Amino acid sequence: MMSSGAIIGQYYPTQSIVHSLDPRAKILICIIFMIVLFVGNNFYAFLVTGIFTLVCVFLSKVPLKMLIRGLRPIVFIMIFTMALHIFLTPGPTMFQIGPLKATWTGLMQGFFIGLRLIILICFTSLLTLTTSPIELTDGLEDILKPLSKIGVPAHEIAMMMTIALRFIPTLLEEADRIMKAQMSRGADFESGNIIERAKSLVPLLVPLFVSAFRRADELAMAMEARCYRGGEGRTRMRELKMRKIDFVAILATVIMSCFVIYTRIRFGPVLPPSMV
Amino acid sequence: MSIEVKNLSHIYMQGTLTEAFALTDVSFTVEDGEFIGLIGPTGSGKSTLIQHLNGLLKPTSGTVLVDGVDIWSKGVSLKEIRRKIGLVFQYPEQQVFEETVFDDIAFGPRNLGYSPEEVERSVEAARQVVGLDKELLSRSPFDLSGGQLRRVAVAGILAMNPEVLVLDEPAAGLDPKGRKEILDNIKKLHESGITVILVSHNMEDVAYFCQRILVLYDGTLIADGAPREVFTKEKLIDSIGLKPPEVTILMRKLRQRGWSVREDVLTVEEGFEEILRCLGTKGVALI
Repeated sequence: MMSSGAIIGQYYPTQSIVHSLDPRAKILICIIFMIVLFVGNNFYAFLVTGIFTLVCVFLSKVPLKMLIRGLRPIVFIMIFTMALHIFLTPGPTMFQIGPLKATWTGLMQGFFIGLRLIILICFTSLLTLTTSPIELTDGLEDILKPLSKIGVPAHEIAMMMTIALRFIPTLLEEADRIMKAQMSRGADFESGNIIERAKSLVPLLVPLFVSAFRRADELAMAMEARCYRGGEGRTRMRELKMRKIDFVAILATVIMSCFVIYTRIRFGPVLPPSMV
Repeated sequence: MSIEVKNLSHIYMQGTLTEAFALTDVSFTVEDGEFIGLIGPTGSGKSTLIQHLNGLLKPTSGTVLVDGVDIWSKGVSLKEIRRKIGLVFQYPEQQVFEETVFDDIAFGPRNLGYSPEEVERSVEAARQVVGLDKELLSRSPFDLSGGQLRRVAVAGILAMNPEVLVLDEPAAGLDPKGRKEILDNIKKLHESGITVILVSHNMEDVAYFCQRILVLYDGTLIADGAPREVFTKEKLIDSIGLKPPEVTILMRKLRQRGWSVREDVLTVEEGFEEILRCLGTKGVALI
């Protein structure tokens, strides 16, 4: 269960420039980057965003191998989207299987879409890899704070996220324990068809939910016992403070974004001039 | 039925940053009809060890032989091993999920493919052993008290007719009455011919019930012998942060004050006799 290789949501503790950035700056950079990644539609845009990602990875001291391992769960989606593009885009024919025509334009488009996915996953996992869950939710709360004027419960959302993240390992451990207990009673989670397998999850899910609700109850009680009354007037042990380096990072992102937008206007979609 | 553990080692998350040695080169044999106590401080590998006995965990190295057959060799049905070696987890009431108590106890037997009559029979037998009221069978398990629920969970394992029963802290979190009841039940089961392995922190219980004690510390088996032998190894027991039964400590202190009581006393009754004997030899009149 723990060896599935998914790194989304995992924290890689080390000391680096990227780790030390203000979480708000990192979240902001991530949002800008994601938008820009979908604005960019040509060779230069992918080149620039790709290099930007690699530089960030290098600065963060997160092993590249770890990021690549994190891509494993999306390999299927990537192959699927690429295949769709290759066969469904009109253009000069590369080869043909029955009624399906593979096109060169499709290949290029599929390739870039795949690249876009890889960059997207790498960059966003970098956010969680370099930011501890506490920092992340603190940062999120601050970013959402202006919205609390129009009724968005910023503090509550952040608190919910903190608690959810905190309990993921606990619940995994619990699921493992209950699963073993039921296997000791002859339960079988591994064989059978889809319906049988879904049914076999009942002995796991019912106790898991029961205990999750019990935990939630106890946690709420413990929080109230320590006078928790929501976010109003609540101070923090670690106040977030933007430093010069944070503004530099945001500025770098903005400059990169401007370049990508420029290439979109200047060169238009997909191909570098030499390949047209 | 015998269980033989040979040079068993287990490493969690092997090959990652969080690699941890849970068990190192553990070997012992459980003979038919024994009552064994497994003790050790928290994190010593007790739970990891018992999960190897019924094939829930696969050894990193070493083997577990049941009746001379390696349980991880080809053609061995782990389901059958799990039937033979019933494992009751700590706080087993947390694994209860069915709508009625009957259905929950019947979960194991049904998984084993018993016919409805057989299921009915084994549930009834298990119910009687743990002393559960018959009318409770049709109730929802979530209406029951903690002690009752614990019995339902133990009955769920017993209904599979195990030949060896492994219990992880079966009395944890129960009041003294519930504690005594569940332990008496286990004693009765042992007398009826079932081999029992009892994991416990409570030295009184282990000393009172078990014929043999295994001591785990930091993933290694550091002692294996009769309670009297093990608990009189004062230094060993103290060094790993365990405490012998209170009455054994009392005897030790009396000896330090010059009394000539025996040191290998394990139960209060024995201690009482021993003190009387000593007083008698000292010539003190008893009122």
